[in-house]
Parts: sequence; C-alpha cells; structure tokens
Amino acid sequence: MAAYQDNFFTRGPSPLARLTFFGLAAIAIMIADHRFQALGIVRVAVSSVLTPIEHALMWPGQVARDIGEYFVSKDRLLAENRALNDRVLKLAAEGQRATLLAAEQANIEAVQQANARFQRDGVVAEIIRDARNPFARKVIINRGYSHGLKPGAAVIDGTGVVGQVTSLGATSAEVTLTTEKDQSVPVMVLRTTLVAAPTTPSGAPLLAAQSSATPPADLAASSTAAGDAVAAKVPAPVAAAVVETKAGLRAIAVGTGRDGTIDLPFIPVAADVQVGDQLVTSGIDGTYPAGLLVATVTVVDKNPAFSFARIVAQPASAPDHFRFVKVLQPADKATAYPTPDAGVGDKSSADKTASKRDAKLEAKRALRENR
Amino acid sequence: MRLVLGSLLVALLLNLLPWSGWALLLKPDFLLLVVLYWAVHESRSVGQTWGFAFGLLMDVADSALLGQHALVYVVAIFLTQQLRIRMLHLRLFEQALHVAGILFVAQLIYIGLNLSLGRDFAGLALLFGPAVGALLWTPLHAIAVLPRFRRRGETVML
Repeated sequence: MAAYQDNFFTRGPSPLARLTFFGLAAIAIMIADHRFQALGIVRVAVSSVLTPIEHALMWPGQVARDIGEYFVSKDRLLAENRALNDRVLKLAAEGQRATLLAAEQANIEAVQQANARFQRDGVVAEIIRDARNPFARKVIINRGYSHGLKPGAAVIDGTGVVGQVTSLGATSAEVTLTTEKDQSVPVMVLRTTLVAAPTTPSGAPLLAAQSSATPPADLAASSTAAGDAVAAKVPAPVAAAVVETKAGLRAIAVGTGRDGTIDLPFIPVAADVQVGDQLVTSGIDGTYPAGLLVATVTVVDKNPAFSFARIVAQPASAPDHFRFVKVLQPADKATAYPTPDAGVGDKSSADKTASKRDAKLEAKRALRENR
Repeated sequence: MRLVLGSLLVALLLNLLPWSGWALLLKPDFLLLVVLYWAVHESRSVGQTWGFAFGLLMDVADSALLGQHALVYVVAIFLTQQLRIRMLHLRLFEQALHVAGILFVAQLIYIGLNLSLGRDFAGLALLFGPAVGALLWTPLHAIAVLPRFRRRGETVML
C-alpha cells in the first residue's frame, strides 16, 4: 500500500523540523503584525484578490434579499415614507441652524486660528457583512481607498457613531465598531455641556470658588487622564467641584467587546453623570468631529468604596439594523496639544507655538514613515 | 491533484461565505478539514507548507491577526502526520474521532491566542465547532472517493 511506502522515502526535513520552522515563522508574523503593524501591505495585496471572490459569494444572498424587498407590503412602505418625511422636516430646521452655527464657528476659528473641527464631506457606504471573526466586532463596507477613504476615518449612521475605519482594501474597508474591546472614543456629557453657566455646587461653595480660581482646572477637565491625576491628589469634594464648574464632563468611552455596551472608565464617583445622559464626541482627538452621538448612559453605579464610578452606556448606532453608513474624512491635522506657553491674545507667542507645533508634527510624521 | 486543488478551493469558498452569529461560532473550519483530509490521503504533496499558506490566506480573509490561522493549521497538520498511518488502518468513524481530537486542539490554540490578545471569550459554542467538523469527515471521504469510484469502477472500502 502506498501508505507505507511514503514513510520509507520521506523527502526533506522531518515533520517536527517543519513544525518548528513554520511555527516560529507564524509567531514571528504575529509579532510583526501585532507589535509593529508592519504587514499592512501584505494584507492589502491578499485582500484585493479575496474581495472580488467574497463579493461574488455575497451574490446569492443579495438576490434573495432583493426579491424579499420587492414584496414588501405597501403599508410598511407608507409608514416608512412618513417617518422619513418627518425626519426630513426635523433635520431641515436643524440643518438651517447648523449653517448659522458653522458660519459663527468659521468666524471664531478665523480669530483663534484653530484647526477646523467640523467635517462636511463624507462617503456613503453599504455594510456588506460582518467580519467572520467571532472575537472581533467589525463590519465590512463596500468602499475602499479607491473611493478616497482614509484609515482612521469616523463612520456614522442615521443615529450615531458606528466606529472607525481600521483597515483599508481597494474596494472594501473594515470598520471597527465602538463596542469592540478597548476601542475608545473621546466623549463629553451633552447635558452638562449645554449648561454653560458655572453653577456653584451646594455644600462646597468655598472649594468651588477655589477650583475655578486655579488655572490648572481648565487643563484638568480637558482630558480624563489629567482629570484623574487631579482627582487622585485632591479629596473627592474638590474633584467634584472641578468637574461641576466646567461646562461639559469629558471622558473616554471604551468598548467592552460585548454587543450593546460601552464602558466609561475613570470617572470620579462624585462626577455629574446620570442615567439617560447622552454622550457625544468631544472632538479633541481630531478623528471624530465634535457633537456626534455615541451612546446613552444606562447604568450609573456610584460605590464610595471605589474611587471611580461604574458607568455603562448603550451605543446609539445599530449597525445590525442599518445597511448604509457614512464615512467622514478625518481632519488633515489633529488638534494640537496645548503647550504651556500658548498665551491667549498674544499674537507673537501664538505664532511661535504654531511653528513649534508644526515642527513637532513633522517629527512625528517622519517617525511614522521610518517605521 | 486536480481533485485536491478543487476541493481546497471549494472549502475556501465555504469559509468565505458571510457567516455570522451562531452559525459563525458553530461553523467548522472547512478549509482546515479538507487540508487535514489530504494530509492523510495525499501526504506526499499536501503538508505543512500548504497549511501555512492557506492559514495566512484565512487570516487576511477573517481580518484576524496575521499568522494565527497559519500556526493553528501547521500544528493540526503536524498532529495529523503523526497519527496518519494509524488512522489509515481504522474505520471512518474511528478516523473521525481522531479528527475531532485534532480539530479540538487546533480550536483551543485558536481560542488561547485570541484570549492572550485580550479579547473576550466569544461563547461556548466555539467548542462545538470541532465536533461538527468531525461529523463532516465521512461525507467528505465519500465525496473525495466518488470520482475514483466512477472512473475505475472499483469498489471503495468505506
């Protein structure tokens, strides 16, 4: 039998040697991919071959769905049409207000020489399938770099932020959802953002006055990391005062890896967060434009035994219900990190910091290219 | 050889179907199953090199970390090569039990790799994928010997 002969005349290295070789090669590739993101080009090359095949495989399902849609009842279409009409009317009013706000914003930006935070253009894409990886919350859309998409672009649907473009093919892109484990979005609490007037919290008027007098409070609220540092140093009531006198609590929404939940870690127990609060993007990362709805707070568990509250939110978008999403192009330049000597109103120092900022960005870019 | 390539291609296409939800968790890795089949029956040509190449292909297709399927496939083929001669003496049902064991080890490596990357366990259903795969071993054998059976008119021992 052929089965026996094979073993008498084995060619090349032994199975164990092969296993060692290929095993090490696989591990090396994993490290190269995970640690250094070095194999993006291999991914793009292989995926450009696979994508047409996958598109072809989508076809039977697509046909079935199209046929199903053809026989949709008239009632449902009418109801849908009415809902959409209502929405158009509502959005028309909001759109007009937004035009006004955008004009004001442009004015302010011209004065402050700040980077534009609001994005106008986007690419509409269709979600074609889930990623076939049971460990990842990702969807595949039918637009890629040939349609002008850029890595890192924010993706939204009709209700809120869906996620971020994390991998690009020629005609398809992979969108990592906000619920993916450790996927983070900088957010702020909309309710406290709208109340711009600094209110003195009852019970700690003196502390509040103190905190509003000290300038670092401004910086502290601008990022959670800095806010935590302050919260760790000072007793809880002061931290509360710092937060409450600011317009808008900033935080980072972090995905949990489970469907339908987003965590809000590192929020002090005394912070002003309530069930039902809407979390919108704060725009400080330069990736997500400010003001997009990310999630709604569902659980606020303030246990004084811990230094941070346990806050869980439900994502606003429902990528399994929507077929179409919009990819917003990221800003060309991220908002620069504030330097300590960036004086307000002092023109020459502002220019200086601007040039310094550019030099820093250049250095960063060079570093990235060297990688 | 045409049969080998063709069946591998079909298995790849099956893997590339838009699986999701429960089906995704329960889905056996068709490609791995067919590669293992040929590692038993065409051990001269199909070996770890093929497993490595197809593994990388699946990594890209599944948008997983590059190399994890490759490692899983190579280890599974190594185990199959060790058990191969023994399996050829057994009946199909007993072969399938061996395959279930190999697929289970492969799945454990896959899950372990993903957990070590800090991901959450996706669900217990993942552990049943290998069993489903092993159930497919007999039909797979039947399909694979069908052309030979027809051409030569031989009786094939099932």
